[in-house]
Amino acid sequence: MSHPQDLSLREQASAVRRGDLDAGELLTMTLARIEERDGPINSTPVLFEASSRTMLADAPRGPLHGVPITMKDMFALPWRAARNGTPSELIPAAASGPFRRLRDAGAVVVGVANQHELGMGTTGSISAYGPTGNPWNPDHCAGGSSGGSAAGVSARLVAGSLGSDSGGSARLPAAYCGVVGLKLTYGSLPYDRYFGAGTSFSAPGVVARDGADARLLAETLLDRPLARHSGAELRVGVVRDPFWSDVDLEVASAADSALRDAGWTVVELQIEHLELVGAAVLCRLIAETGIPPSSVLATLSRPTRGLLLASLLAPARLVPRADRVRAAVRRSLAEAFTSVDLLAWPCAPTPAPALADPWVSLPSGRTLADTANLRQASIANLCGVPGVSLPVGLHSSGLPLGLQLLAPWGAEASLLDAGEHLELVTERAYVELTPPIARIG
Amino acid sequence: MDEVENWARAAFRQAHLDVDDDDVAFVQLIYAAAIAQLHVLDQIDPDEFPVRAIDPSHAPE
Repeated sequence: MSHPQDLSLREQASAVRRGDLDAGELLTMTLARIEERDGPINSTPVLFEASSRTMLADAPRGPLHGVPITMKDMFALPWRAARNGTPSELIPAAASGPFRRLRDAGAVVVGVANQHELGMGTTGSISAYGPTGNPWNPDHCAGGSSGGSAAGVSARLVAGSLGSDSGGSARLPAAYCGVVGLKLTYGSLPYDRYFGAGTSFSAPGVVARDGADARLLAETLLDRPLARHSGAELRVGVVRDPFWSDVDLEVASAADSALRDAGWTVVELQIEHLELVGAAVLCRLIAETGIPPSSVLATLSRPTRGLLLASLLAPARLVPRADRVRAAVRRSLAEAFTSVDLLAWPCAPTPAPALADPWVSLPSGRTLADTANLRQASIANLCGVPGVSLPVGLHSSGLPLGLQLLAPWGAEASLLDAGEHLELVTERAYVELTPPIARIG
Repeated sequence: MDEVENWARAAFRQAHLDVDDDDVAFVQLIYAAAIAQLHVLDQIDPDEFPVRAIDPSHAPE
């Protein structure tokens, strides 16, 4: 038999349920694989040898019984405080809301997924645990802030991971690493003891290898079924400028090919006030982030300290104006969804940049990857809608590319229907792509 | 010392935050690249952007 972590999440759950796979053996082999394989990518820097065995012993016979997963450092666990990618215990150990949903389904948390420090970056290049490398090329970024989740799933260390998404933090790493990253609708599950509780932007995000696995995890987190329908007859809206026009040409080409392969009806449309989204997002995020205590601030990297300190210079009088823009953009997006089922554009505008130089070149010029990534992703957070990044092949650099889809509030099922349809018509060509690190052993 | 640096140092003193020159240099960079861009929000027409309730968990009513 192949290694059980080469099976999908649902295959693992099914095999355990049928008695074909011993959950204890699955856990042992998963921990061993992470130990053996994770060194170059550093996706899962903390393993729970003892706590995961206790969790398995107590696991109910739910839909994820005995299935190993990882969780981002933003969620408190009963045996470990959430550190948010810093050395400091920022939320005391306790069963966070998202953890409870996974525990009650029988999942087993085997480790902490690495993340960008305080979630304040889309590259994963800065973390108290060290940077996260991309499984397709460890010298390149895995993305952020949920980089450990995407890298670990891509490298076949676990088949599912819980990340989060405040400005693309689940979708962007998924695009960089060639996996599925689903941002849930804001506020759609309990947020207690999760860093997202302090913002109006953040939502837990599911990272998995394909649409069906993402559906299983999302159903668990949302505690409701996401009924499967055909994704063949969807109407998809595309907003060309800047989401398609100011991206790497190969990225645009791959995303466009995916839309054609899917056979969806593509409608070009505009979203009013798009030019103000960046300022509204930044203004609101700054207002909601605040500055941590000096004892924490002193431990942070220079760039993160700089971002936090610079927030003191943001005029508070602009926050109500940002909210006026936010309300208007939400209405524009809702209006768009009266004529289309989904919106589509490339997720990350380039393949993953080098860890040593997290800048990207776009038709509009060279810029920080964070700036370009936020532009592509953050409208979903400003509005609260769910979004997904689906793998759509490889760049000539050998790095993965992602197509982003957004859906109306609560319509996660439509995103997964679309993803599974794309897998069907492409004969799973993109979701079966395997990084070099996952071909060893 | 430029205007932003003065402002930053005064803000950090007022907030009792210990910072060094490198912190201030980073803040100046971030101010120029991002914070200064927020002033576009000053230019919106309030009549075109009325105040409305925002609940990001649901579609606007």
